Amino acid sequence: MLTPAQWCGRRHLASFRHRVVLLCPVRPFFLVPRLLTAPPAMASTPLPPKENALFKRILKCYEQKQYKNGLKFCKQILGNPKYSEHGETLAMKGLTLNCLGRKEEAYEYVRRGLRNDLKSHVCWHVFGLLQRSDKKYDEAIKCYRNALKWDKDNLQILRDLSLLQIQMRDLEGYRDTRLQLLQLRPAQRASWIGYAIAYHLLKDYDMALKILEEFRKTQAVKTVEYEHSELLLYMMMIMKEAGMEEQALKHLETYDKQICDVLEVQENKGDLLLKLGRNDESAAIYRELLRRNPENRKYYQGIEAANPPKTEEERLDLYSQTAAQFPRCQSAIRLPLDFTTGETFERLADQYMRKALKKGVPPLFNNLRAMYPDKDKVAIIERLMLGYQESLKTAEKFNPNDEGEPQPPTAYLWVLYYLAQHFDYLGDTTKALGYIESAIEHTPTLIELFVAKARIYKHAGDIEEAARWMDEAQSRDTADRYINSKCGKYMLRAGKVKEAEEMCSKFTREGVSAMENLNEMQCMWFQSECAGAYRQLTQYGEALKKCHEVERHFQEIVEDQFDFHTYCMRKMTLRAYISLLRLEDIIRKHPFYFKAAKLALETYIHLVDHPLTDEDKAKDLELENLSPKELKKLRSKQRRAAKKAAILEEKKHQQEMQQQKGKRKDPDTEQDGPKEDDLVPEKLAKVENPLDEAMKFLKPIQMFAHERIETHLLAFEVYYRRGKLLLMLQAVKRAVTLDPNSAWLHECLVRFSKAVSEKNNLPGPVSTVLKEETKALFGEVDIKQFNANFIKRNSNSLQHLLAGAKMLYFLDPQSQDRALELATDLSENLIDRNVKICIKVYEALSSGAFGKCEEQTETYKTQCHQIFPFARVFMPPKSESDTVTQEDGQQDGQTDGQDGHPEVDANGS
Amino acid sequence: MSINIRCAKPEDLMNMQHCNLLCLPENYQMKYYFYHGLSWPQLSYVAEDEKRKIVGYVLAKMEEDPDEAPHGHITSLAVKRSYRRLGLAQKLMDQASRAMVENFNAKYVSLHVRKSNRAALNLYQTTLKFTISEIEPKYYADGEDAYAMRRDLGDFMDQLKKVHDGNAVTNSAVATTS
Repeated sequence: MLTPAQWCGRRHLASFRHRVVLLCPVRPFFLVPRLLTAPPAMASTPLPPKENALFKRILKCYEQKQYKNGLKFCKQILGNPKYSEHGETLAMKGLTLNCLGRKEEAYEYVRRGLRNDLKSHVCWHVFGLLQRSDKKYDEAIKCYRNALKWDKDNLQILRDLSLLQIQMRDLEGYRDTRLQLLQLRPAQRASWIGYAIAYHLLKDYDMALKILEEFRKTQAVKTVEYEHSELLLYMMMIMKEAGMEEQALKHLETYDKQICDVLEVQENKGDLLLKLGRNDESAAIYRELLRRNPENRKYYQGIEAANPPKTEEERLDLYSQTAAQFPRCQSAIRLPLDFTTGETFERLADQYMRKALKKGVPPLFNNLRAMYPDKDKVAIIERLMLGYQESLKTAEKFNPNDEGEPQPPTAYLWVLYYLAQHFDYLGDTTKALGYIESAIEHTPTLIELFVAKARIYKHAGDIEEAARWMDEAQSRDTADRYINSKCGKYMLRAGKVKEAEEMCSKFTREGVSAMENLNEMQCMWFQSECAGAYRQLTQYGEALKKCHEVERHFQEIVEDQFDFHTYCMRKMTLRAYISLLRLEDIIRKHPFYFKAAKLALETYIHLVDHPLTDEDKAKDLELENLSPKELKKLRSKQRRAAKKAAILEEKKHQQEMQQQKGKRKDPDTEQDGPKEDDLVPEKLAKVENPLDEAMKFLKPIQMFAHERIETHLLAFEVYYRRGKLLLMLQAVKRAVTLDPNSAWLHECLVRFSKAVSEKNNLPGPVSTVLKEETKALFGEVDIKQFNANFIKRNSNSLQHLLAGAKMLYFLDPQSQDRALELATDLSENLIDRNVKICIKVYEALSSGAFGKCEEQTETYKTQCHQIFPFARVFMPPKSESDTVTQEDGQQDGQTDGQDGHPEVDANGS
Repeated sequence: MSINIRCAKPEDLMNMQHCNLLCLPENYQMKYYFYHGLSWPQLSYVAEDEKRKIVGYVLAKMEEDPDEAPHGHITSLAVKRSYRRLGLAQKLMDQASRAMVENFNAKYVSLHVRKSNRAALNLYQTTLKFTISEIEPKYYADGEDAYAMRRDLGDFMDQLKKVHDGNAVTNSAVATTS
């Protein structure tokens, strides 16, 4: 057992794998695959006794990770000219070399060994293990199958094969292998469980249950025993999935006393009783659960579903009772605010807010924010809050008529804090800033106030100022990582990568760069924000590197499950195990993945539209006013930096290899090939075909994020640039089903239509399909009319007008005036005339989406400055030379906006 | 909607890691979260906001040393700064502690805290009734000492039983505690 210090100590985090091995109580987490359970008697080239003994020692050394010794014994056998080509020894030498990080040689030896002894199960098994360690699971499966041809009942090979099959979700194969294992080892628990799991995953619930029931019968259980309890709950899980509610409930009731997970039993009983229509019993269970945890929403919902309250008042009773019973319970006083309205709402909100303001609960606004889409409730909250403010200021009471003691002075402070956030939410920056300033004046030491101030500036479109205030907040409590993280995030949004890294480094391990440590710790929020920042800075290679790092985390997380296939069967935590498998199947559904994939796709698209050579030229232009000498200096400095970076990278890589060697517990997971390891920004940005690379990110989101319209629009952008009409069609059709009126989709549709009309000599069937489908999409009208209809239909939405205007110009550059008029509309009746959208309009104007229009762009900027005085993009330059700030301000919102739109040149490529 | 507190599922583990990275200096790779979630699925809890974002969590385990009485251990506990003063940490801890007793017959729960972390120390001592059992020198990577703390779960369960009038705790490990 390791000391706990080694567990949590930061210096040990890197070697986490190592620690797990030692911590697992029963058996090591990572079993080194036992190569052979029996000596290689089947070997087709038998060794004489002396050499055979040596060979056994090689195997032992491998198991005990004494690789150097293993090689020594290999040498002793292979040194004898008679056995220099002994297949199994050569193979074992290869496998041992692999564990020492010498992958290429490993392959060489293993292959040579195999060639020399194709009928040896050892050679095939070794080749399988090697491929497996290289994560070539499909290849490894083939090798194991070959090995089994020569030794069909080899337990170890069968076990290894079953692991790969479940990892690769070859469920039928897994079932067959598990059957063989059960036949060979019917007395082992794992044999039964594994076989049952196979059927469960294949959705053959009856068979799975039969197997488990057979096994259960053999178990003599006297007291409550955790593993058995888990088994019983696993059976219940299968019954529920099979829709066998009655049986599941009976199962729970029968084995009640043998199950120690009380919560799971109760929650499922409540659920099952409800499904079976036994509502009163269900409600009783949920009431018990509520006593256990009154902060779980599901239990309130359960009670309400079982006994639907007839009136609002009746519904409220449950909550009032719970609140009375548990004075510290938040849910019971907060949840009613969601379903009450009018006077009741006002009364409850009044109580709720007074209590929080009196106590000083900083997250009060966070707790109420969810109801802000309800305008009536917002009005009530605002009225109450402004009332408190007025009264507290003069009378130190929430209401001048209140009886009793005056409120603490902090109550006033919390009211100001709340109002600042309230008006910020409503987009009234001036008021929000006014309240936050008053609050800071009242209590200059409260950090939350500076955080709020930073947020206000961020929302107002001034991320620089926002980052400055977040830094201020951070400096007042440098021991709090949460604020530190927020500050790092704001700095990244402001495009300040170096500063952000420095900020974050206050909480990363010493001795490693923050970037490296954050990557090692799979800190994905940082990495995708960082990618966004790099893209903003037009450092596309760096941006892509960050996206790829995130992708690798997901790969690693998928590989993480490998060891749990054996582990969970031993621990019997089968419900959690099944959930893990299902989670891993859809792991790239996680928003972290989507965010990185979207950034990568947008970057690749940008690289297609603006090939890097142009970029370089542009940079050269910027450098024009440097003297040749200065330029030369700069260039050589850049070269030196690049060289240095490359050397560092190499060094780092070598170190990693060294570390791996040192801590290697498992040849399977630690063996990353050297080529795979390096993500070189320059190479990533100069990739030959960016669209091919883009596909690697596109496919997973098409599979897992198909419910997001952006997925299909990004797909469209990729296919558009590949000239794939049918795939474009598929993408827009999918998008239409999600939101037919999306602004970005409209642009895609128009560009699609034009692309179709411009493409001649298509093969007959393709042309027919396209004709049919475009008719379905666009109706009988021509594309200009289609665009005109769209504009007319959405005359009160700025983002739609922008899309329509862009397409108007795209279809007919003659209509520039009309297009500009539409896009630069700033009338107040537009429902989305906010900073974010106006910045988009401004960016479109500046990017050439409307052709040459400098004058109009300037006018628009001036107008916007008047409406959004805090937004940095619209600020007039302070002085001639001070244009830098302007560029810096153009970024916010893009990365997290719902319909963030890649900067797409409407003319495509 | 309010903050919801419930037992963590495997799907939550990645978001717990995210919350941990935002809030605390001691971080772990995903596999370590999986290890917790798949070894002791009952012991970790999350607090989530109305968008199901995790605003606080407790990551807990059992120490399975045959020489000691069975006891739980808090690997990590965090609540986002923007959700403090709602009593979340205590609620998370109470749920986890109860699960330790019910499922694994835990006698006490232990944890470590940085010597310099006054706020956390105060929370553990005053609100959560932990006591310092020993000082572990240089426990943390940066050389800082840790307080090893413990909370007896016998008292805790007795109290729970009182609150619940013996109603809610009906069977299993609690009843069969030998």
